[in-house]
Amino acid sequence: MAQTSAELEERLDHLQHHFVDSDQQFDSSKMGMWVFLVTEILTFGGLFAAYIVYRSWYPELYLEASTELNAFWGTVNTAVLIGSSLTVAMAIRSAQLNQIKGLIINLWITIGLAVTFMVIKYFEYAEKFEKGILPGRYYSYDGLEHEKANIFFSIYYMMTGLHGLHVIIGIGLMLWLVKKAKQKVFHSGYYTPVEITGLFWHLVDVIWIFLFPLLYLID
Amino acid sequence: MSGHHVSSAKFLWGIAIALFFLTFITVAVTWITIPEPWNVVVAVAIAAVKALIVVLFFMNLWWDEKFNTLLFIMGVVFFLLLIGITLLDTLYRVDPVPSF
Repeated sequence: MAQTSAELEERLDHLQHHFVDSDQQFDSSKMGMWVFLVTEILTFGGLFAAYIVYRSWYPELYLEASTELNAFWGTVNTAVLIGSSLTVAMAIRSAQLNQIKGLIINLWITIGLAVTFMVIKYFEYAEKFEKGILPGRYYSYDGLEHEKANIFFSIYYMMTGLHGLHVIIGIGLMLWLVKKAKQKVFHSGYYTPVEITGLFWHLVDVIWIFLFPLLYLID
Repeated sequence: MSGHHVSSAKFLWGIAIALFFLTFITVAVTWITIPEPWNVVVAVAIAAVKALIVVLFFMNLWWDEKFNTLLFIMGVVFFLLLIGITLLDTLYRVDPVPSF
């Protein structure tokens, strides 16, 4: 009996005094994250609004300018992000089942896929920078006839740039999770940071799911 | 316990395969020519289905507290309001803002 209560005490070390129990703490964290995700939807929403307004004004610009984007690498990156969403879901499952080794492995695979995404993004950006395809008034490429071509790329860089920033933040969060997991912080009774980071990561995936067809696949 | 649904590995793989398949469909529909504006409608519709699958089964809203679903729906509603009200202005201008 003594052993059981000692075990119980150890497993409750995550519980903060202002919560009734682990479940309440978990659900509160999760609800807080969903409130944050709503603000994320609306942040990206502003950029999507800009995209839609300019597309309604200059539909031919979007047709022409999107030919500069490589649909193949866009598709690869979509697959990479969906794969990383799967591994993050697997990481949460591992944590729920007390499989800490599996949790760490799945987090590393996710980090690897996220880095792959950023490396592909880097090559895409580098190729455009070289041609002088830069946002706003720094635009100096003359391969496109439309006089507003810089506007498409301003929108492209803002949307994919803010998304890329989220991917980088996600990589940082998952490195932190790996460190915590190695310190044996997580177990089936407490994996809130893994769950919350998972929600963040899936939202980054959802944003890309819309960015991919809207930027790369116009024709 | 509402927030602790454990999905089986098989189920998670199934969801991922569905998403890969829909990504393929997204690319495949660009190989056939769909007239304006239906190409955009189809692309956004497939993306919306994919997003819904992620939100329901990867982000677990299907099993979660209903309040989180309400938050998500409110986010989407206000996003649509943002777009709708903006378009009521920009679509009916005689000239777009000249310098933009």
